[in-house]
Amino acid sequence: MNAEPLIAVDRLARHYLLGGEVVRALDGVTFSIARGEWVAIVGQSGSGKSTLMNLLGCLDTPTAGSYRLAGADVQGLADDALADLRNREIGFVFQTFQLLPRATALANVELPLVYRGEPRRERRARAEEALRSVGLGNRMHHRPNELSGGQRQRVAIARALVGEPSLLLADEPTGNLDSATGEEIMRLFAELHRRGHTLLLVTHEARLAARCPRAIRLVDGRVVSDGPGAEIGAAARGVRA
Amino acid sequence: MSSGGSSRRLAAEFAEGMRIALGALAGHRLRSLLTTLGIVIGVMTVIAIVAIIQGLDRSFEAQIGNLGAHTLYLNRWQWFASQDEWWEMRNRRPIGTRELEAVQRDAAHAVAVAPMAMTRAAVGYGDREATSVTVIGTNDRFLETGGADVAAGRFLGTPDVDLARPSVVLGAAVLDQLFPRWEAGQALGRRVLVGGRPFQVVGILTRRGQMLGMNMDARVIVPFTTFARALGAKRSLTIAVAASPGGVPALEDELVAILRRVRQVPPGKRDDFALNRQDQMLRVYNQLTGALYGVAIGVGLLTLVVGGIGIMNIMLVSVTERTREIGVRRALGARRRTILLQFLVESSLVAALGGAAGTVLGLGAAQLVALTTPLAAAVTPGAVGLGLGFSAAVGLLFGSWPAWRAARLDPVEALRYE
Repeated sequence: MNAEPLIAVDRLARHYLLGGEVVRALDGVTFSIARGEWVAIVGQSGSGKSTLMNLLGCLDTPTAGSYRLAGADVQGLADDALADLRNREIGFVFQTFQLLPRATALANVELPLVYRGEPRRERRARAEEALRSVGLGNRMHHRPNELSGGQRQRVAIARALVGEPSLLLADEPTGNLDSATGEEIMRLFAELHRRGHTLLLVTHEARLAARCPRAIRLVDGRVVSDGPGAEIGAAARGVRA
Repeated sequence: MSSGGSSRRLAAEFAEGMRIALGALAGHRLRSLLTTLGIVIGVMTVIAIVAIIQGLDRSFEAQIGNLGAHTLYLNRWQWFASQDEWWEMRNRRPIGTRELEAVQRDAAHAVAVAPMAMTRAAVGYGDREATSVTVIGTNDRFLETGGADVAAGRFLGTPDVDLARPSVVLGAAVLDQLFPRWEAGQALGRRVLVGGRPFQVVGILTRRGQMLGMNMDARVIVPFTTFARALGAKRSLTIAVAASPGGVPALEDELVAILRRVRQVPPGKRDDFALNRQDQMLRVYNQLTGALYGVAIGVGLLTLVVGGIGIMNIMLVSVTERTREIGVRRALGARRRTILLQFLVESSLVAALGGAAGTVLGLGAAQLVALTTPLAAAVTPGAVGLGLGFSAAVGLLFGSWPAWRAARLDPVEALRYE
């Protein structure tokens, strides 16, 4: 049907000015990701993976290069257009969950639909559906501080899914969780991948990258390898060891 | 479709802003209370002062009613004169019976003409005495010039004046002092002493209250002719001349002509008499209260500005505290406008709640003043609307900078904020 990849970045660069010196956080990366893929972006801290995530998530704009998301050019879009793009096309999952503390799980999940102007009743129904799909049908009216870490991350994932975006962008989603809970979340991602969602997992852990069908490894703002997750993960582990 | 969608989105954003604002208020009750205190006090001040001034206006209008609306008061001097004019007026010849007779004879536009000779005297009955009573010598036309109404008995008649009878009509306060409650009904026909001379009570005046600090009920009215004999005729008279409604300007011209002729004022020279009117008092009063209004509103605005700065301060704190939340909302698709709206809703809600509380307290304060002092208080819906509107406007105005700062936050930075 649609041959065009969901994500196509070409020589994407992001430079910062830090104390009069240009820092090349991202120094010209090129790759594309098709719909339905599960890709890890792996790298040490300072490798530029967070910068790349911010660019792919339309939270930041590149210094140079091009970025096409779902067939549309992202660079050069105005702030409002970027906000609308984030709302429709991207679901964020953060390391620190980033839930609103005073709002219930349901209200948190409804939020993207609020900014879409969805009527209250439909909003509620879809948010309930999303919470059920991550196994939190019985926790809808709890506030974040009444939930465990794993449950909070599930709420965040439900929030990312509720608007049916083309891309799920997860930034170290297991970083604040114990290994058992982290494993639970990874299994949930595998399940989402099976259901056809496009997933991008940003992580510094080679172990996690190894579980993704495909991984892109960044070093010093450049792509050093792009291939099956198992190979890249092993290579990354080898480098560290 | 797209405009319907965007207005629906705006409505949803507004509702969300309201939810956030209410949540924030509930989450920081003490802080919200302290923040709004400035607004509360500002609005309270304005409402209370405006209510008191409006109460004053009403009571002044009622008091001014003691003077006939269509009556000209012919005096030697003007009611409201500057110091310099005063010296000139002191030396004017008194107004006397010659002028009175000329006006009575020649003023075709006059509906009624009543002389008013005035002095202060003690009025006694038995062993009781009312001191410092205003004694007015006039004629039977006095009622038509709006000077008084009769509550019991009768007013002076033509025979009283023509025959210089010792008849007296008592003011309500004089009646109270001379005849305690149980004798009040029997006052008519009694003999009282006015300035040491016996007079017979023929009537009682309707109670009128105060006018500009004068007790309008501490007065007695006697025939003008009797006044001259008993209390002296040397004083300058006031002549009250009533016109038909709308006939005041014509009467004024006529009276000036008559007076200049009688008093032989040479052409080109200024009048050596004055025609005073009720609305002169209104003008002076309005000048006075206008200044008072200005001061009150100035103080109120100043307090509102101080309150506004308080709101700005707390909104800046609120924006800083919620930096990460702003980042999350932006990541989920909130536009800058959305964030701006969210914080504006919050600041104007805080201010409007403060305004509402201030209004209630201001009304209470005005009532308290009305109950504990002679000042009246009247509250108009306009004053309440003004207070509420102003406070919401202050919230918008002083909330806009913090809101703008919130809207301008970089989503990446905001999400990373600790």
